[in-house]
Amino acid sequence: MSSLDTLTDAELVQRCRAGDPEAWNALVERFSRYVYAICVKGFRLQEEDAEDVFQDVFTRVYTQLEKLRDDAAVRPWIAQLTRRLCLDSIARGSREQPAPEQDLEESSDDFAEIEEAFAVREAVTTLGETCQEILDRFFARDQSYRTISAELDIPAGTIASRIARCLRKLREELEA
Amino acid sequence: MVARCSKEWEEAGGIAAQALALQARAAPLAHADAEAWEDALSALRRAGAGGRDDGGARRDHALERKLERAAVVPLEIAALGADTAELAVVAAERCDGAYRADAAAAAALAAGGARAAAHLVEVNLGVRAGDERLARARGSEQAAAEAADRLLAAIR
Repeated sequence: MSSLDTLTDAELVQRCRAGDPEAWNALVERFSRYVYAICVKGFRLQEEDAEDVFQDVFTRVYTQLEKLRDDAAVRPWIAQLTRRLCLDSIARGSREQPAPEQDLEESSDDFAEIEEAFAVREAVTTLGETCQEILDRFFARDQSYRTISAELDIPAGTIASRIARCLRKLREELEA
Repeated sequence: MVARCSKEWEEAGGIAAQALALQARAAPLAHADAEAWEDALSALRRAGAGGRDDGGARRDHALERKLERAAVVPLEIAALGADTAELAVVAAERCDGAYRADAAAAAALAAGGARAAAHLVEVNLGVRAGDERLARARGSEQAAAEAADRLLAAIR
């Protein structure tokens, strides 16, 4: 983990404004999955179009960061930018199939899920390394308790309790 | 259910979340198991009806790959059975006493599932005794059985 990973969104934006190239890399790294999820899950863009929007989003973030009034609001700003560019892409209508009318409500649920998933993801980064590792292995990589136990050298009988404790900390973090 | 009904237990939500995750993994595996086995069975029938010709070796290879795939699914089911039984043990230790017997029942069912899955890996697919997949399936079966036995003994 680099020292930039521990910065808040606002601090990272300030480093970008100061012209730190490493900060720009960290910013793209931090928000790349988010942008891609909005393109693919929210707007159902095909891969090629999602990549075009992705490039366009970060080009605009780079050129228009000075317009951002509240550095802490960079995430919603990027989300808004991504949505607008996705809509532009659909309007051009060259390769992609726009989401049918009946899917609009579903898409709005998808956006809420994306927001929630990224809020959880951000909260997970505040937990200790062991918690992050265990939660990632169990919930994201679908690993069994035995596999987690063997790979992290933790007694198998304690994995479920450890996960439960980590989830309690995560809930406290999200509620804070 | 055991965790959700234990209101006084701070980490009940974390146990319930794990139970839901295991449940979500199990449902598609049940479908995949049936599909993989049907697929392997069809290949076995075709191989039996085809006789020996130039395509025999290719068919044997394809059949072997289908059987390999059919072995992977019960192997995962056995591992899920072990995890579910282990989770039931943790739930039973900390839950509201009124639900302890339900946790034990869940562990016993999970152990049964792990045993059945290990049996499928061994007998139906004809894997050899030294096969690493069989060793893993048996390991899961044993872990699930031990967890269930421990829990049932504790509540008697």
